[in-house]
Amino acid sequence: MPRRSRRPRTTLLILVLAAITIITLDARGGLHVVTSGARSAASDAFAPVRSGVNAVIEPIGSFLAGSVHYGAVREQNQKLQAEIAQLRMEQAAAAQQAEALSQLSALLKLPYLNNLQTVPAEVTDFGTSDFAATVDIDVGRADGIQLDMPVVGLGGLVGQVVAVSHHTATVRLVTDGQSAVGTVYGPPPGSLAVLNGTGSGKPLSADLVPSNTPLTVGEVFSTSGLAGALFPPGIPVARVTAAHTGSSASQESVTLQPLADLAHLRYVTVVLWGPNA
Amino acid sequence: MTPRDAARLTLVVLGFVIVQETVMLDLRIGGVHPDVMVLLPIVAGIIGGPSRGATIGFGTGLVADLFLPTPFGLSALVACLLGFAVGLATVALDRTAWWLAPVAALGGSALYEITYGALGSVLGQPQMLHVALARIVVVVSVTNAVLALPAMRVMAWGMAQSSTEGMPTSDIGVGAAR
Repeated sequence: MPRRSRRPRTTLLILVLAAITIITLDARGGLHVVTSGARSAASDAFAPVRSGVNAVIEPIGSFLAGSVHYGAVREQNQKLQAEIAQLRMEQAAAAQQAEALSQLSALLKLPYLNNLQTVPAEVTDFGTSDFAATVDIDVGRADGIQLDMPVVGLGGLVGQVVAVSHHTATVRLVTDGQSAVGTVYGPPPGSLAVLNGTGSGKPLSADLVPSNTPLTVGEVFSTSGLAGALFPPGIPVARVTAAHTGSSASQESVTLQPLADLAHLRYVTVVLWGPNA
Repeated sequence: MTPRDAARLTLVVLGFVIVQETVMLDLRIGGVHPDVMVLLPIVAGIIGGPSRGATIGFGTGLVADLFLPTPFGLSALVACLLGFAVGLATVALDRTAWWLAPVAALGGSALYEITYGALGSVLGQPQMLHVALARIVVVVSVTNAVLALPAMRVMAWGMAQSSTEGMPTSDIGVGAAR
């Protein structure tokens, strides 16, 4: 009996130690090349599977939806409804295309990007984990995308590329708890502050803003572009929604709303830029 | 484990990955998507006992980590603990009872999500606790409870030749061998 109960515990101990070793090596960089390579390979391998399965599922869903209503209405009504549905679909598709065209045109003319090279991308998925604020986009290494490149959308900064595979990439949003963006605010040359994410859908918080700084609601914080910064200068990031200083606080408590509409991202622009550019 | 057994288990894990990465990622309930990969260590623990539950949990967790932006190895750690815990908790129960898998999936999935967030936070990702954890727990637990019975059937096929370590001797055919 003792032998039987000891073996599973030994197995568990070995597996837990193995998992902790993997986590530690990955976090310290020793295994990161291997794990990011494996993640990239898995993403590449599954891209055709995803699109293939989606291509199969969508027509089945449409067929089932149609079958549910079949026989429920008279023939004439069916014909009229089909025509109305067709017209509505065409109208919706036209509106969608017009909106897409308008968004893409606007993305191509973002004033703060100056002459920086960019790659437009479509958001394909709002994150694979419920525990991180990320989005997946449909461009990757084959399009010139590299790790840490900035991603912008209509309004301002969206985030930063944190994983790249051949034809896809993962973008960490500025609202993610791991995100920290160096910014400037106030009259030129501006004062420095770091904007930290506090979680998906939540406002940003600012660090390094001295107490009693006269901030106004709506004031915009833009990327600083200091030497070694992760983002080029002048990209608007967020606007102030509230600011106050506690009686004994050394810093002002500032909350900000990202300027890009992160909840409804459809198209974004990846800036082909690195800290050493 | 023979190559044939390994191939069956690999097929089952691959099937779960495909379902998770296609259907489940598109299915958002209150902004949260279900996570069927959590079902694997749970049903493996019920069918194979604590040791097999932990081993399969570790392997399936590593596979899940390939598709997640969270620290690599975190899913493997939590899933192996979950497989072991479920195997240990159900070892003395009647594993043919129909309610066992849904109940284990409900409780096990909740435990997994809470532990995942807490351990992630300890490992330098404090934002993992600043999420709608209650909503994630409810969505993942309930969907996994609903899917537990089919998952048991699939995993039973995948582990057909696997060890039944930890099961009562009457269940593993000792009497028949005499």
